[in-house]
Amino acid sequence: MRSAVSRAADSPEFANQQNFDRAVAALVTLIPVPPETAEWFAEKDLVVGSKWTWKKIVRNPAVLAISIAVVVIAGVSVFQVLSRLNDFPGSATARKLLTVAASTRPVMLDPVSTEAGTLSDLFFMKHGLEHYDVPEEFADFRTIGCRVFEDEESLRIAQIWLAEKRMQLFLFPADRNTKTGAVLRFPGWRYVSQEGWVGAVKEQSGVCFMAALRGGQKDLEPYIAKTKE
Amino acid sequence: MLGDSPKAQEVFHTTLREAALRAAHGELPKERFWLFRDARWRCLEATEADLQPESLKLDEHDLAPHAASQIEQMEPTQLAVWISAAPDPQRTALALFYLDEFDYDEILDIADLKLTELSRFLVQGRRQLQAWLDGNFPEATNV
Repeated sequence: MRSAVSRAADSPEFANQQNFDRAVAALVTLIPVPPETAEWFAEKDLVVGSKWTWKKIVRNPAVLAISIAVVVIAGVSVFQVLSRLNDFPGSATARKLLTVAASTRPVMLDPVSTEAGTLSDLFFMKHGLEHYDVPEEFADFRTIGCRVFEDEESLRIAQIWLAEKRMQLFLFPADRNTKTGAVLRFPGWRYVSQEGWVGAVKEQSGVCFMAALRGGQKDLEPYIAKTKE
Repeated sequence: MLGDSPKAQEVFHTTLREAALRAAHGELPKERFWLFRDARWRCLEATEADLQPESLKLDEHDLAPHAASQIEQMEPTQLAVWISAAPDPQRTALALFYLDEFDYDEILDIADLKLTELSRFLVQGRRQLQAWLDGNFPEATNV
């Protein structure tokens, strides 16, 4: 097509045609416009466009769609940022264990009736688990049962069922730096929640301890606050 | 399109009045060239009741190198009448093309023509006008 146009451009016939069209177009511009009609074009703005009002802008489907999309994206972003704010080393494992807590039945554990604090020796003597110590906040509560199991990442996890409000305690290895192998520590107690369960997590000696129960953070706070006093 | 000032003015005013009314009711069509299409149909309607050109075969000549100087000798109103006397849709094609305001796609859109039809009408129109020029301004051919 381009080569055809290029070839035609060099031909005298095409040049004649262009001159012809230009001359006719020039003559067309001289065709008189009736004065009454010409008056219509005296002003620049023949038709004044309606002004954009906020109401009109908001009702515009494109603006509406973009606004909804922006709000959804912003909402998701805020949700993710807020979720990340509460994250700490081991929080992912803690959430998984809350799911385990929700599905655990007492028959799945070995019946053990003792004080939770004394189970550290059992874990060490029977399973070779070092520093699987129950913090003093929960050491005095009576247990119903306990077990040691491996999760899908082969982490050895100790689970204790308490008589107190059907609370469950978990002990699991703390997250480590993948390059150096150093334990990723965090100070004090941190809370996680999942599917109606809440957990208070603490790291000590490379092992994370989590107390979990069905409910909200306010249900666990009294146990943590008790020792602070 | 009409070759008749008062009639053109009437069509122009009617078209704008109708457009203003539709705008007031928020019923303006979304297609881009609706106003031009509308004006074209009004022009065609306005000429329906007029005497129609006889369907005769006009002479056609090859475009002459001196055609531009022949055209310069024409009166603008002569050209207006010559274009308006062409049968439609050739009339629409010539009017829109020589207004020099639209590109080919836009002319095809407004006049509901195919590219081959537009091309044929323009080529035919040029050759017919050249024949008319040769008949009316023969002295220029000797230059």
